[in-house]
Amino acid sequence: MGRLFVITLEGSVYSCNHCHTHLALLDDIISKSFHCRHGKAYLFDKVVNITVGEKEERMMMTGLHTVVDIFCVGCGSIVGWKYESAHEKTQKYKEGKFILERFKVLGPDGSNYLVNHDAMVSGSDADNA
Amino acid sequence: MGGVEDDEPASKRMKLSSEELRRLSNGSTIKEPVAGSSRDLMARPLQSEGGEEVVGSKGVIKKVEFVRIIAKALYSLGYIKSGAHLEEESGIPLHSSVVNVFMRQILEGNWDESVVTLRNIGLTDERTVKSASFLILEQKFFELLDEEKAMDALNTLRTEIAPLGVNDSRVRELSSYIVSPSYCSLTRSPKQDTVRARSRSKLLEELQKLLPATVMVPEGRLEHLVEQALVLQRDACMFHNSLDKEMSLYSDHQCGRDQIPSQALQVYETGVSLKHKLSGHQKPLSSVSWSPDDRQLLTCGAEEVVRLWDVSSGECLHVYEKTGLGMVSCGWSPDGKWIFSGLNDKSICMWELDGKELECWKGQRTLKISDLEITGDGKQIISICRETAILLLDREAKVERFIEEDQTITSFSLSRDSRFLLINLLNQEIHLWNIEGDPKLVSKYRGHKRTRFIIRSCFGGLEQAFIASGSEDSLVYIWHRGTGELIETLPGHSGAVNCVSWNPANPHMLASASDDRTIRIWGLNNLSTKRKEPCSNGIHYCNGVY
Repeated sequence: MGRLFVITLEGSVYSCNHCHTHLALLDDIISKSFHCRHGKAYLFDKVVNITVGEKEERMMMTGLHTVVDIFCVGCGSIVGWKYESAHEKTQKYKEGKFILERFKVLGPDGSNYLVNHDAMVSGSDADNA
Repeated sequence: MGGVEDDEPASKRMKLSSEELRRLSNGSTIKEPVAGSSRDLMARPLQSEGGEEVVGSKGVIKKVEFVRIIAKALYSLGYIKSGAHLEEESGIPLHSSVVNVFMRQILEGNWDESVVTLRNIGLTDERTVKSASFLILEQKFFELLDEEKAMDALNTLRTEIAPLGVNDSRVRELSSYIVSPSYCSLTRSPKQDTVRARSRSKLLEELQKLLPATVMVPEGRLEHLVEQALVLQRDACMFHNSLDKEMSLYSDHQCGRDQIPSQALQVYETGVSLKHKLSGHQKPLSSVSWSPDDRQLLTCGAEEVVRLWDVSSGECLHVYEKTGLGMVSCGWSPDGKWIFSGLNDKSICMWELDGKELECWKGQRTLKISDLEITGDGKQIISICRETAILLLDREAKVERFIEEDQTITSFSLSRDSRFLLINLLNQEIHLWNIEGDPKLVSKYRGHKRTRFIIRSCFGGLEQAFIASGSEDSLVYIWHRGTGELIETLPGHSGAVNCVSWNPANPHMLASASDDRTIRIWGLNNLSTKRKEPCSNGIHYCNGVY
């Protein structure tokens, strides 16, 4: 394989739980009140070392959004998505921001997140401002 | 009355303007209007907006100027009779009669008369008149000194040169020549004891440069215009990659695509053409660097050590390391005496070949993934110091310059003349920067694909007129450096092409390395071309090959 280009972050780092590639900094968290199929998700201002998938229109809990899935460059596993555009005015603040699923990343203290199968998570998105 | 229309019947042409009537009454003949006959070989004189005759299809070449510079060129070539004949036949003199008188007076040494004639030429800029007068009188001064007429020379200096009010320091210098004639300035002949005046034709040359071009046509003007056109043609030639193609005046220069490497001549599977297996590193290699004399190789393990190898024997000559730290890059000084290395604490260190550490630049100098280059003069160290910035560190002057980009930088490459830097960015753009003085962005190249890997690009071709790059879509990309246009994409690899290297000695050879575990050598798509042996030293970087 070619030589991967990876950015090394400094500070409290969230990394891919499969290959430990750095993904984002604690300081860049905008909100911790998001959800995905596997439970919690965080909204980040900036995420590195990812590749993006195809644009899709997705109906989220807060309305229709155009999103792209994001994948870790190290192992290719899906780690979340990025908001390309929001159709509702109140959701515009998410544009250009990233969601990392808590289940897919290791926290800055190296902690993992166990999926709560009993949780009645109805869908993805949230954090209504 | 405006210009004469070509398709007007002959009778209409006989309508004369008041201007032409006046000329007729003065006795000058009216030129016959040129008939539109197909047997007519003379250039049809058109009228420009200013009323002057023009030649050429675009109507921008003034006929009088054209003929004059041709006459000048004929005289320069030594064809005196032809030059004179042209002046006569065209009725267009190279120089006005006043100027001809002036030139003769200069060559005959009639200084005072020439200064008077100078005023009659009708120059509008008083400074030019004074500067020209100064040159003439300076010549008079020196010739008088040569004839040992010191008093006359002094007189000239006092009453003729000084009052001009130009070049006072030179006036003082001239007065020193009277005092000590043996004083020789650097511009005069150092062998002589006395000051000698320069030749009169040299003086004429100097005056020619001083006076406006319309008065005295500059030397070599036609040759200069032709050269300008040829250079423009060559620069516009996007595929220009061969010294063999001499430029001809008979047709516009345009190389075909056949000068760019486009055919895979050889495909090396790893292990087949192996010379040595260099074992020793515990970690995968992050970079490789050939010594300036191509006899040694530096290899750097990822956050490990740097090893020095002898290429012919395959022996490891030295291991460079620093306790507690890992090396991330390596490079040579251009004289081959020192090794540079980036470390994972962001510092850069410099060693002598025997391992003695000479210097260490601490602080935010380099990143874990960064190239390291040293300029040809050995003074600048170049590395990526922040996600979006490159450091240009002058290690002697201790001066730092930075290239700031908007996007994350993944790799870079230095041009052979060390004046330009080619930067690869995360967003699939390649930027060319001029790094002399304040760094300036020069060009951008786009088209190739990069999402996960470090993809390398390089300069190449004749006078490094091309940019080549690898790409994650398995193609090799080649752009014309000057225009930024993509001129070739080379298919053949079956995996991401990680890096390319253009043979610095052979502009027709390019090497590429890919995730398909092969190295391809690309050459001209012309089987009749003499094939040169691939030179292994031509590949300066190879990444992604296990």
